[in-house]
Parts: sequence; structure tokens; C-alpha cells
Amino acid sequence: MDNAAIFVATAAVLSVWIAIFVYLWRIDTTARMLQRELQREREQAETALPKAEVNRVRSTDVADESVERRS
Amino acid sequence: MVQRLAQTAKIGIGLWMAGVAIATFLVVPQYEGLGDAGRIVIVHVPTAWVSVVAFTISAIFSGLYLWRRRERDDHIAVAAAEAGLLFTLLATITGMIFSQVAWGIFWNWDPRQTSIFVLLLIYAALFALRAAIDDIDRRRQLSAVYSLFAFVTMPFLFFIAPRIADSTLHPNCAFIQGSNCDGVFLEVDKVGLIGDQKVQLLGLERKGNLLVAEVKVSTPGLQQEAILYPSLDLVDGGMADRPEFPGSRFRLGLEEYDEATGAVRLNMEAPGTNLLENRRTLYVFLAANIGFTALLFWMLQVRSLVLDLQWAIAQRGRVTYG
Repeated sequence: MDNAAIFVATAAVLSVWIAIFVYLWRIDTTARMLQRELQREREQAETALPKAEVNRVRSTDVADESVERRS
Repeated sequence: MVQRLAQTAKIGIGLWMAGVAIATFLVVPQYEGLGDAGRIVIVHVPTAWVSVVAFTISAIFSGLYLWRRRERDDHIAVAAAEAGLLFTLLATITGMIFSQVAWGIFWNWDPRQTSIFVLLLIYAALFALRAAIDDIDRRRQLSAVYSLFAFVTMPFLFFIAPRIADSTLHPNCAFIQGSNCDGVFLEVDKVGLIGDQKVQLLGLERKGNLLVAEVKVSTPGLQQEAILYPSLDLVDGGMADRPEFPGSRFRLGLEEYDEATGAVRLNMEAPGTNLLENRRTLYVFLAANIGFTALLFWMLQVRSLVLDLQWAIAQRGRVTYG
């Protein structure tokens, strides 16, 4: 391979590598942005929802006895 | 801080691989008998190595999924199997180009080519299996089990089968001294196998300091036959004439003469053999291995993150307990 041909081959391989690198970088950046967005959405949903916590459940044989709740 | 380090490492991978690409063409010398085509080994071997790493990671995370049942483990296992399949495909294609240059044919069902083809089929079946099962838990469970079984075949197909085969053209001597690098000892009228070529020693003749062997060479399937005359310098013990096998760039050498038995050792000189003895080639080769391995880990991180996101989006809006 003469000098010009080897430089052309190097340039072609470098172009392919740069294209792969940019593609991977963009997917990586977009995916991480989406991950952060989903995380934020989940946190907002968690804070917006009304919370009720079952604090104590008494097991009893009496059917009409209510469950004590604290909210 | 960690995020910034990760970003720097990714830029480092980009620069490193660009350096490897430049060095492959501008630093690595040409090989005798292969010319510029020999440079493909800088990509061919690292891609094969990286696919071994990827399949190993896939098997480890498949095992972890079966143990812990975390979807993240399944995502990493799938991402690794995908990367492994991609790199195996790259190794196969670059190997085919190498074999066209060295052997004169893209594909000749050499043991190395056959074993990598079987490996491709085994891992392609993993994705066919995943696509065929709708139930997500069952899909993950079965593919994890399949991945473990597929991994058991990988070392055999990658490392053992091509080396125990009596007949292979793959230049294993470039990396590991294997049985096929030792050639065959033949007496007159005896038949042997070197690579995939049948050789028959028809006679020996002394011409001055040279010992000339008359060897009948038959290509696979006996499609071509030729009489070759390799010779040995009896004074310095070195090979003299090394004629080429018909239709390929492999040379037939007469390496040794045993006066007691009248036997000679015939061997095949494959282009590319011992190419790593050149320091510049060795360093670029090692740099390529490091670069491709780092690239694999980046690809795994990105792909498994995408699978995590797909799963998270699919789960969005569903009420979860616990």
C-alpha cells in the first residue's frame, strides 16, 4: 500500500470510529437524562400521593371490632 | 465526582481507540507474506477476546439472576450476550478476510471457523428463545438457564476444539505453541497431514549441501495436487527452498533430517505466525485488547441502562406493593 492509500485507510477507519463513539455517547447521555427524569417523576409521585400507614392490626375473634389506623 | 470520572474515562476510551486505529496503519509494520492485510490481526484477536469476556459476564449475571431474581442482573446478562454475539460476528468477519488473504478462500470449514460458527448459532438461539416467550419472568428464568449452558460450550468451542483438531490452518503459533506448529515426521512413501493439506514424501535427494525432498501435496477434497521440492541446508541446518502450497500463501518447509531413520520433518509456514515477536506490533496489539475491553464495559453499561429504562417505563403507572 502506498503512502496516500494508507492515510486514506487510516482516515476511513477513524471516521467509522468517531461515528461509533458519537453514537454511543449520545445514547449514553440521553439514557442518563431519561433515568434522571424518571427518578424525579417517581419522587414527585411519591410526595403527591396521600399517605396512610397501617400502624397496628389487632387480631381478634370479635368480627365487628375495627382496625386502629393512624394517618 | 464519580460522574465526572466516568465521563473522563469515556473520552479516554475514544482517544485510546483512535490512537490504536492510527497505530494499526502507521506504526505496525507489514508482515512477510501478508502485506497490509496482516494488520487485521490488531482487530481480529481483540474482538475474539472481548467476546469471551462478554459471554463470561453474561453467564455470571445469569447465575446471579437465578439466585437473586433481580431484573438488573437479567439486563446485564442480556446486554453482555448481545455484545458477545456482536464481537464474535466481528471476529468471524475479520477472520474471513484474513483467511481470504492467507488461504485464498473466505470460508473452508477450518476447525476454528466451524467452532466459532457453532458458537454464533448457540448464542443466536438465546435471543430466539427470549423472543419466543411472552411471560417476562419465565423468559428471564429460561434464558438465564440457557445462558449458563451456552457458556459451558464456549471454552470448548473457542479454545479446545480448534487446538485438538489434527488439521487446522489457523495460526495458533502466533500466540500459543500448539501441536500443529510441530509439523510431521515422514519417511519416504509415507503420508501425513499438515494443516488441511495431505502431504506424501515421494523421495529424498542430496544435491551438494542441500537435501531436497520431493513432496506430493493435495489440497482438501483432492481438488489440486502438486509436487513441491522443499530443501534443507545440511551444513547450517536451516531451510533453503520453501515453495508455496498450491492456491495459498502457506509455504512448505523441510525443517529437520534424521539420518538414523531417514525421516524428515515437514512443516507449514503460515503467514502471520510469530508476528507478535515484533515489538511495535505487540504493543499495538496489547493496546487494542485494552481498548476493546474498556469499550465492551462502556457498551454494557449503556445497553443495560437502556434495558433498565425500558423496564421502568413499562412499569410506570402500575401499583407496586412491598
